[in-house]
Amino acid sequence: MASVSQLHQPPSFRVVLMARRSTVVALVCFVLIVLACFLLPALDLTAIGGMSVRNRLTPPGADYFLGADAFGRDVLGRLLIAGQTSLQIGLGVAILSSSAGIVIGLIAGFFRRLDTPLSRLIDAMMAFPDILLALALVAIFGGTVGNVILALSIVYTPRVARIVRASTLVVRELPYVEAARALGSSTLTIMVTHVLRNILSPILVQATFIFAYAMLAEAGLTFLGVGVDPSTPTWGAMVNEGRQYIDTAFFLILFPGIAIALSVLSLQLVGDGLRDALDPKLNKET
Amino acid sequence: MSVRKSVFALSSALMLSVSPVLAAGTVNVAIIGEPDTFDPMVSTKDVVSIVTQHFVETLYTFDESWAVVPLLAADMPEISDDGLTYKIPLREGVTFHDGSSMDSADAVASLQRWLEVSSRGKSVADKVAGVEASGPYEVTITMKEPYSPLLSLLSFSNSAAVVYPEEIIAPEIDTVVGTGPYKIEAHEPDRYTQLVRFDGYTQPTGATERNQVPDEIRLVPVPDGNTRAEGLLSGQYDYADGLSTETYDRLAASDVAEPVLLEPFGWPVFAVNHKKGIMTDLNIRKAVQAALPFDDMLFAGFGNDKFFKTDGALYPEGWTWHSDEGVELYNQNDPEKAAEYLKAADYDGSPLRILTSHQYEFHYQMAEVAKAGLEAAGLKVELDVVDWATLAQNRNNPDLWDIYITHSPFLPEPALISSLFSSAREGWDNPEKNKILDRFTSESDPEKRKAIFGELQKIVLEDVGFIKVGDFNALQGKAKGLTGVSPSPWPAFWNAQVSK
Amino acid sequence: MANYLLRRVVGMFVVIILVLTITFVLVRLAPGDPAALMLGPDATPQEAADLRTRLGLDDPIIVQYAKFVGNALKGDLGESLFFNRPVTSILADRAEPTIFLALMSLFFALFIATPIGIYAAYKRGSLLDQSSVTSAMLAASIPSFLTGLVFQRVLATNFGWFPTAGYGGPDADLWVRLGHLILPSITLGITNSALILRFTRASMLDILGEDYVRTARAKGMPEARVILRHALKNAGIPIITVVGLTFALLVSGAVVTERVFNLPGMGNLVVNAVLRRDYPVIQGTLIVVASIYVLINLATDLLYFFIDKRVKY
Repeated sequence: MASVSQLHQPPSFRVVLMARRSTVVALVCFVLIVLACFLLPALDLTAIGGMSVRNRLTPPGADYFLGADAFGRDVLGRLLIAGQTSLQIGLGVAILSSSAGIVIGLIAGFFRRLDTPLSRLIDAMMAFPDILLALALVAIFGGTVGNVILALSIVYTPRVARIVRASTLVVRELPYVEAARALGSSTLTIMVTHVLRNILSPILVQATFIFAYAMLAEAGLTFLGVGVDPSTPTWGAMVNEGRQYIDTAFFLILFPGIAIALSVLSLQLVGDGLRDALDPKLNKET
Repeated sequence: MSVRKSVFALSSALMLSVSPVLAAGTVNVAIIGEPDTFDPMVSTKDVVSIVTQHFVETLYTFDESWAVVPLLAADMPEISDDGLTYKIPLREGVTFHDGSSMDSADAVASLQRWLEVSSRGKSVADKVAGVEASGPYEVTITMKEPYSPLLSLLSFSNSAAVVYPEEIIAPEIDTVVGTGPYKIEAHEPDRYTQLVRFDGYTQPTGATERNQVPDEIRLVPVPDGNTRAEGLLSGQYDYADGLSTETYDRLAASDVAEPVLLEPFGWPVFAVNHKKGIMTDLNIRKAVQAALPFDDMLFAGFGNDKFFKTDGALYPEGWTWHSDEGVELYNQNDPEKAAEYLKAADYDGSPLRILTSHQYEFHYQMAEVAKAGLEAAGLKVELDVVDWATLAQNRNNPDLWDIYITHSPFLPEPALISSLFSSAREGWDNPEKNKILDRFTSESDPEKRKAIFGELQKIVLEDVGFIKVGDFNALQGKAKGLTGVSPSPWPAFWNAQVSK
Repeated sequence: MANYLLRRVVGMFVVIILVLTITFVLVRLAPGDPAALMLGPDATPQEAADLRTRLGLDDPIIVQYAKFVGNALKGDLGESLFFNRPVTSILADRAEPTIFLALMSLFFALFIATPIGIYAAYKRGSLLDQSSVTSAMLAASIPSFLTGLVFQRVLATNFGWFPTAGYGGPDADLWVRLGHLILPSITLGITNSALILRFTRASMLDILGEDYVRTARAKGMPEARVILRHALKNAGIPIITVVGLTFALLVSGAVVTERVFNLPGMGNLVVNAVLRRDYPVIQGTLIVVASIYVLINLATDLLYFFIDKRVKY
């Protein structure tokens, strides 16, 4: 347990996390996006969702700060509402698939007897092209937010599991893990204190990717013709709906496009910072 | 960066081989999807009609003013005075692509198959007493009762009564053999259908000549509308079907391509479930009719007055079938009246389910606006936005929807509008309407038919059989140098000339 | 080693049977009626029901499954409901664009990402590190259909450097077809290069912190040698993992790209099949793609074995 608390030793963690300016900027940026999406609509409910067809495709200006869409709805208002859904999808998938992937990967990497069946299952699931598996699952379950999260989590879980298993295979053969085993540490202890600690950074990096991928995949699903029911707007759906107005109203894809890119990018930069901060080897260096 | 440079160098080297690939006289057409069959008898899809009309032919066809003219037939039929016997003379010397020549045996076998397998054929099958060869080049169709739309059915390229050689007639035809001016040279699904000139073609006597101008016609399925537009604008395609009206200005400004506006093209329609659910109640139907904001729906769907007209008549002005009967019920835009109807119906707040998809963006856009309008009148609305395949299935199940959204081109003969028939999936079985419809299909005098159609339109609006949203124009696009293609929902390319 | 190989081959068959079963179940659960779709908008429900019966879609599910597995093991993946052609022959036609697209974009991604990733790790925290990582990530943060659309719009339509879409006509030779793939490959490669770059950098960082690398440095070994011999070699496992993964991602990422550029590849085929409810084609594609994945996974694991002697089997 000593090593775990050492891992989360507050000063060094914060120092490393904040050491990179890009991480700080990204973190601030992401927090602002989250706050905007979840707080602003709550403060001003009236401006959102109103339809005024005659004002369709009004460019950004005094009436509509970020313009109006094909139904004459305020783009800014919809952007914020849509952001809630997009962020929920990303976070949901990242948490669900990482947790499931860690459990499956650790077990597969650690228990030789379970390795084969679990690896076969991972292989079988990974054999499905990710977008297509998601496409099929969403087509079957129906396009609700929960179903999209579930479908994408099913898609990404084996990918985490495989990386966890591969890393576990290496780590468990490291001299100090072998030493711990020889000293009689229980399997669970070894798994948690040594192996999990060692593979935490690749998983965190992977989880930030999954957060990003899930948001992008949701946009892709919408593009392919399935996705979240349009009564629940997402950033991906907004970009996709804006496609046909690429000439007449470019701002319709520009703003949600920026929202996606900015969130995904800042998330990954934060993930990078986290990775450096959590890596015990790097901690020692600073 | 060197990587980029070399990529671009490679690509510009390849460009040399990309552009002159086209053989002289090749027309490249971007169509909206892959025709899933080359047998137009079994499909009512427009894309199947567009492709197959080049290699299979019907006995009759429509000319540019939608009059029936002979194609494989030598002349218009001899119709007996009681309207029960159609003697159809066939052209002699017509050759199939397999080299055999067409005679009455082929036509009879084909018509019999049409009555058995095609949905439009089946719709008249119970009125047909028999189809016989009354000579080597004459076919006689005998009816049990007069049915005036018969010739239109025989002329239509959709669920088409095409003529195949007797030898290939089977419930399912894998390899289609036709008489058309072009024949299938190669077919790579989702890549292209390559048609080449058929040398043994003989010109029709009634229909416009099919001059076999291009050596080759390539029909390229491009499901994404943006991609069709980009390809047309870059010169890759000579013609593109089904473009979004949003690309109109860009096409108009282009040096390479130009817009082809089909004006008016057709009508979006809210199909009404008369079998089950809340729309079986006339008061609810009337409430929906009164509440729908037709102007806004059309505006949201098509974006510019140039592309739609708020019009309640089933056929726009200028058409034979145009009538003003009952149109005052269209576009009332009256939420209060709608609320009264709802009250009269003891509306209990159960949701009105509108089934639609993103396949055609204007369907979805009209649905969103309709929802807002209906909710303003006090209806609870559920939008069920599914993919096209699910929609195609779900609309066959009356438990799953109250309204679904579709559209149709203006059809040359009103009896081709399937929603009018109680056998259609909507199941509109109003006895009074059925009587009018029977009178309409058995009457042969064009003037009287016109009057009866007025009655039919009136009852469509009064009983809310289905809800016509308006008229809309469709946008296609063509390369600047392309001539010889008449604007049509089903453009044909046998006279297309490309000057590059 | 031979024992290990044998186990993996047996495992491969197990995986494929699993895949067969999962695919079959998935596909049958999906709503949407192929018969209604095939008949078009004006067909009556009765006609759709008749066609379902004729296509065997009304057989009990277990009968359909038994037929399906039996035929699949014989190499018969059935007939497409829409094309009336064997699925295997359709797939054979569609493999070429997908394989070339995947290879070209992987090449593109590796070519860009690996050297930058190594260098960025080596110069960790430098301006180059931060800017290269950030710009790679930014490029990958935009939905790929949007990137593709903009490329198509600007580079193909406006500048005319590339064909906008498709895979050439009937007379297109290999070079013309490959020309149609350049822009899609760049689109797909950009998205995936960020992943490879990040993983290369991350695993290089791990290795550079290892004792033996520091020892080598302390001994005065030239930096280039330290990086290429020790670090790169040991960073091999995660990089291979991610290249293996990326290849899988490329094949499926090709779905969206093929859609944007209207390439007649397997990705486009299977999306169309999903939209058309062409069950045999969906199943067939998934089975074939699954087999490819399994082979790649096997190759990846074998590469671990050769590169990192610490892994014992």
